[in-house]
Amino acid sequence: MTESISTLTAPISLSTYHQLSLTVETASIRNSGLFKPNPYLQVTVDDKLSRKTEVIKNTLHPKWNENFTILVTPLSQLLFRLADHHSFRKDNILGEKKLNLLKILQIFNGKCENVELTIDMMKASSQDNVSNTNPETKTAELVILLDGLRIDPSILHQSHEVLGEASSSRNPLNEGIRARIRLRNNPETLRSMLRSQSLRPPPGPPPLSNGSVHVSGASAGAVVDSSASAAGPSHQDAPPAPDPHPPPAPAAATAAAGAEEPLPPGWEMRYDVYGRRYYVDHNTRSTSWERPQPLPPGWEVRRDARGRVYYVDHNTRTTTWQRPDTERLARFQHWRGERRHVVAQGNQRFLYPQPQPPHQPDADNDATTMGPSGSSAALASGTVPGGTPGGAAAQAAPAGGVGSAVAADDPLGALPAGWERRVQPDGRVYYVNHKNRTTQWEDPRTQGQEVSAPEEALPPGWEIRFTEEGTRYFVDHNTRTTTFQDPRPGAPKGPQGAYGVPRAYERSFRWKLSQFRYLCQSNALPSHIKITLSRQTLFEDSYHQIMRLPAYELRRRLYIIFRGEEGLDYGGVSREWFFLLSHEVLNPMYCLFEYANKNNYSLQINPASYVNPDHLLYFKFIGRFIAMALYHGRFIYSGFTMPFYKRMLNKKLTMKDIESIDPEFYNSLVWIKDNNIDECGLEMWFSVDFEVLGQVIHHELKPSGDKERVTEVNKEQYLQLVTQWRMTRGIEEQTSAFLDGFNEVVPLEWLKYFDERELELMLCGMQEVDVDDWQRNTIYRHYTRTSKQVVWFWQFVRQMDNEKRARLLQFVTGTCRVPVGGFAELMGSNGPQRFCIEKVGKDTWLPRSHTCFNRLDLPPYKSYEQLCEKLNYAIEETEGFGQE
Amino acid sequence: MAATRRLQKELNDIRQSGLKSFRDIQVDESNILTWQGLIVPDNPPYNKGAFRIEINFPAEYPFKPPKISFKTKIYHPNIDEKGQVCLPIISAENWKPATKTDQVIQALVALVNDPEPEHPLRAELAEEFLKDRKKFTKNAEEFTKKHSEKRPTD
Repeated sequence: MTESISTLTAPISLSTYHQLSLTVETASIRNSGLFKPNPYLQVTVDDKLSRKTEVIKNTLHPKWNENFTILVTPLSQLLFRLADHHSFRKDNILGEKKLNLLKILQIFNGKCENVELTIDMMKASSQDNVSNTNPETKTAELVILLDGLRIDPSILHQSHEVLGEASSSRNPLNEGIRARIRLRNNPETLRSMLRSQSLRPPPGPPPLSNGSVHVSGASAGAVVDSSASAAGPSHQDAPPAPDPHPPPAPAAATAAAGAEEPLPPGWEMRYDVYGRRYYVDHNTRSTSWERPQPLPPGWEVRRDARGRVYYVDHNTRTTTWQRPDTERLARFQHWRGERRHVVAQGNQRFLYPQPQPPHQPDADNDATTMGPSGSSAALASGTVPGGTPGGAAAQAAPAGGVGSAVAADDPLGALPAGWERRVQPDGRVYYVNHKNRTTQWEDPRTQGQEVSAPEEALPPGWEIRFTEEGTRYFVDHNTRTTTFQDPRPGAPKGPQGAYGVPRAYERSFRWKLSQFRYLCQSNALPSHIKITLSRQTLFEDSYHQIMRLPAYELRRRLYIIFRGEEGLDYGGVSREWFFLLSHEVLNPMYCLFEYANKNNYSLQINPASYVNPDHLLYFKFIGRFIAMALYHGRFIYSGFTMPFYKRMLNKKLTMKDIESIDPEFYNSLVWIKDNNIDECGLEMWFSVDFEVLGQVIHHELKPSGDKERVTEVNKEQYLQLVTQWRMTRGIEEQTSAFLDGFNEVVPLEWLKYFDERELELMLCGMQEVDVDDWQRNTIYRHYTRTSKQVVWFWQFVRQMDNEKRARLLQFVTGTCRVPVGGFAELMGSNGPQRFCIEKVGKDTWLPRSHTCFNRLDLPPYKSYEQLCEKLNYAIEETEGFGQE
Repeated sequence: MAATRRLQKELNDIRQSGLKSFRDIQVDESNILTWQGLIVPDNPPYNKGAFRIEINFPAEYPFKPPKISFKTKIYHPNIDEKGQVCLPIISAENWKPATKTDQVIQALVALVNDPEPEHPLRAELAEEFLKDRKKFTKNAEEFTKKHSEKRPTD
């Protein structure tokens, strides 16, 4: 691309004309009189061609969004003139500014694509007779967007000769013009997202490191103190513009400033039109509202080949896109501290022994050949590399199949895209997933669903209800009890398991797991793939090797080699790799994932991940990697949030799901739900805001949501929409990229058997739970250590196997993992929060849990048997029933 | 935008109600999420001056509570050297989306007028307040004279 452009433009000189797309967006005019102006903008190119926008009546904040295509040379000068239209007299000029296009081109290396300019419009203040300099004052700020111009950067070097020292000795831009590249990906959504702010008068500098290159007008020479020396008459064209409006609280501001440390080198403090303080970093040509902290020792700012700023930490020989601040460094320290536990942790995790490794070494004679692709190439080019579920025998299935025609009048509707139904010679139907090159017996449309029996009438006094999450349960009004057990005689009860519940329930996870393993096995590919990495560059090495391969190849047996530690990978090395890499993904410096909140150490996608320009590729990679962990039966270090698992399972997210990631937000939603909102002046509309990296992003919950007030009548809908938005805001693209990557390796349909908690168990595995430590670090409310229910509870825990313990723990704390330091370090949403058992309710109730507070509400059950039964239901029925 | 309308209305209401104890409210036209104003306490030792505060509303207001900080230094058991203040009405546990800024300010003014040494942010001042009220009052008065802003005259 670059090549073709430069060859095209090679013979072109500085005087050749090019098309430039110019969008006049908005302006913000300083109020200077009784009446608001009727502003319009006139653009003059090289004193010849001139274009005008429409007149917008009676406003200080006109929005034009008018696009012009103009012909320019790299040497063109653009004059912007903002004027006030009068019907009866001459139009009054509000402010103007001249722009040398060449300077913009020099800064962006010949590319003027999606460059946003914020221009200070100046006007000579005529009344000023005190000094004879007739200084200009800033009267307005204009925002325009330049696009579509690209010239050979080498031409720009000629410009030095052409322009002599004029271009080199001056500042890169006229003072008072700020340029930045606007994020291009998905301009449509970006535009609507930013509508509320970027088209409003831009209030000043955008936040630091928002993924764009931000170029400020003045060079480092023009720091604040130069305003004193520049007061002389020399600088007629652009004084550093001492702000005519002092900041609102000069006394407080100076007092505060006095206490602060000096700015790091290359930084400057400025005030915007509104008197607000902001900071310019001339090193990186960026601005920030936040006062900079000097870079920690050993850190350095650098710029990559594309001009993007990054930070080098010479202490650890690592780099990051985000400027390190104390908080981020603290998190990084914490993260590094975990490292030494990681491998030890990995060796403690387990699930059930796998019946067989997911590969079939005898399926292919070439399994022993070391060549990376060679012999398997033929297979890979075939249509169904995985073979059919029957293994070798089923390979004989006719490739053409008869199936696709049959599906036409299926009551379940069409198969999902990319799927095909086929029939074996013996008449058995199977399904081909062409997207992932996998086959399976199960119909993807019904996979994971229970076969529903015909409904029978309930006994008198019984009622079916559903939990908020849609799980069915039964209310017996006769005895005022609830149960998940279907009371109808025809309902499957099955033999009782060891814990007094049907064995079908008890072992269901085991059963589901074996189904999943079976799917993995029957789609395994022969031979293996080699992944060679170095420990120092684990993330990048893994990224390149995993993304280089076609996704289905990742189902081959893995052969991981750490450079310099050549050994045979019989499973141990790859186990270590999964664990190390999954921990690496959390590296706060990558900004990809973040902890759900201060006290919930589960991971969620970081909405600010876009500071990393390649974040979507990384998410796709991580999706592949997580799927590989499931496929190969390996564990990862740290789990995701429950809402994230639910998203993977394509389950509807409910208000309740917000609680675990943002309890404050959740409480407000509950308050709105529980109170009559018509009388309390909430002033809510069907629109919402949130902030990422200092930018406020506005979102309408439905079309014209800004105009629809939330009332008692429509609040249900509002709460639903807000819930949906809260769980997806700022992370949709990343989530899709993750799921794409995941689905390429393991079809998401295969997960349909599981619920979110089981998915976490599968991914993170279980670890031996130290019951003594647990009991020692448990507190009680309205019970004591010796209450009989408490004694029963521990008796029950000691009788359980590890899976049950993990799931009980998950039910109460939200995760099946115990902190590295044991139960004493359990965290809740308000800091350290020990496991707590509270006496709540009556013996007819089911136990409930509050995962934010690690609290189990245990009703005062009358017998040990009753306690076991109720707790078992709560744990086994994983749909979040009884969680509050 | 979502928070803007609510805050615009609250601001108008507060300005119209003419609070004696909260004056000189300044809000950027472009950023209604930040307010500044003067707390004008009635009770000694703070009734000799006025104290500038800043109220920062999150973009998610009113789902999340505002944060308040003192820009003027004040000698007070519940307000620390950085100007942070612990106000129950805007704590995570107590916050309700229907709570109005007007109520928050009244709670703040009440706290300034009558310190709560039982929940101090500066333990040493709380101790002084409880054990040697005279000394506390003298110190606080001197501090107020030195650091506080002028009270509006009207």
